Amino acid sequence: MKGNTKTGMIFLALLLFFPTAQAMAATGSQILYESDSIYHHITVRQEGMERCMIFGRQRDLRQTCLDLEKPDASVFEYTAMMFAGFLFRPDAKSVCLIGLGGGYIPTVFRMHLPQVRLHTVEVDPLVEKLAAKYFGFSIPAGQTLSIDDGRQFLKKSRERYDQIWLDAFNSDYIPAHMATKEFLMLVRSRLTDGGIVVQNLFCGNRLYDAQIATMRSVFAKVFVFEGQRSGSCIIVASDRPATDPPGLKKQAQRLGGKIGRIDLFAQVGKCKVSVAVKKAPILTDDYNPANLLIMQKK
Amino acid sequence: MPIVYAGFILLLVSFGAAVMSLEILSSNLMSPYFGGSIYIWGSIISSFMVHFSVGYVMGGWLSRRFPRISVLAAFLVVCSLWVLMIPVIYQPVCEFISENIVDVRLGSLAAMNVIFLVPISIMAMVSPYIIGITTALQRQSGLTAGMVLFISTVGSFAGTNATAFYLISLFPVSRIIVGVGIACLAVSLIVLLLRLDSRIGLPDADNGSSSQGSCI
Repeated sequence: MKGNTKTGMIFLALLLFFPTAQAMAATGSQILYESDSIYHHITVRQEGMERCMIFGRQRDLRQTCLDLEKPDASVFEYTAMMFAGFLFRPDAKSVCLIGLGGGYIPTVFRMHLPQVRLHTVEVDPLVEKLAAKYFGFSIPAGQTLSIDDGRQFLKKSRERYDQIWLDAFNSDYIPAHMATKEFLMLVRSRLTDGGIVVQNLFCGNRLYDAQIATMRSVFAKVFVFEGQRSGSCIIVASDRPATDPPGLKKQAQRLGGKIGRIDLFAQVGKCKVSVAVKKAPILTDDYNPANLLIMQKK
Repeated sequence: MPIVYAGFILLLVSFGAAVMSLEILSSNLMSPYFGGSIYIWGSIISSFMVHFSVGYVMGGWLSRRFPRISVLAAFLVVCSLWVLMIPVIYQPVCEFISENIVDVRLGSLAAMNVIFLVPISIMAMVSPYIIGITTALQRQSGLTAGMVLFISTVGSFAGTNATAFYLISLFPVSRIIVGVGIACLAVSLIVLLLRLDSRIGLPDADNGSSSQGSCI
């Protein structure tokens, strides 16, 4: 009887562990790091030559990935789409990026846009450490990094940027204080004349519409890029962009059609000039249900 | 006596709900100035714990010194008026503190205490005050200390969920706070109008002799 119990226990343990082990073996996936920072549960996972930093416990939501053989190749559609910012402001000399992740965007700047000063702002000190350890992130000459809350950083900073990129959002959580009209007004005040803001979001929820409405309440012109192979969208806003959407193709040609491995022509095709948003609230510091809207599908 | 119990329950549920509603809303007030990190929640929760402690001690002491619901209700009127002022004062307070204290932990702690110390401490007086009064009745009260805390906590549960799940998506934070303030003021005035003290017939403070009120 005792033997039977023992066998049963072993069988149960196999049942529990075997599927995971099998799945791991089949996909070649390997967990390199898993722990909690003061902000997130962070996992670093490698599958083949693709290494990802995952925030939260939803393993399928890969947040930031790097191809170890081609670190400047965009694994996610949205990271390539964000470089559409250069179609609107091709002469940009300084860019502020809020949200480091695995450091893919700074890597592309380091490899292909060395003439552009990039200032990255990341709130989580552990993300910087992991980016350096597992993703080859380094701060070359011409780039700087601040460990700070994005809004607090912009408030304290007196510098102005040609482009400000907002990439501090997960699929299920947004730092709500960086979604409001007051925040976007702060962003606008930190842009140079004709500067642009680029924001990455998921298109399928009600927050996306609210964010477009909020952008429109601050900036004169708001354009949207809709992903073709993902649910990602990019909002580009400016008071006086150097180019309007009809001129984007010409601008892409002028830039040689590429930034590193990123095909700018492919991004041009994703631009939507006027997106209708229905019943979308303007988010303010006072009225800000951003994290409830992100859960509501359109 | 049913009216007295109804008054107690109204106080416990309303202020139990108001405390937690304000706690949830305070994160929206803090995050534009101090960020949205876990530090903010640390400041919010620890500040409220300090305010609760102050309120518990004060409520217990005052209930023995002045065992009259009218005294508690007068404090609650002051507290409600303070809550009504929060939408006006929080911006300059947070702005000033965030510009003068660089560390967001210290800054948010300071701002939370300036804005919430007075109203939350007074709200926290409700349970110990009512426990004190029911104890001072010197006879079997249907409302045990445990039951008082239970009713207040049920109010807190309702206040937390209603605010986090519904109110924030329906109204601006400032309007929700004004709503909470008006509700608190209304409850305080209703309790004053019910003249609970004369219905209870409490012994006088500290000397143990019976008051002139009719004992129901």
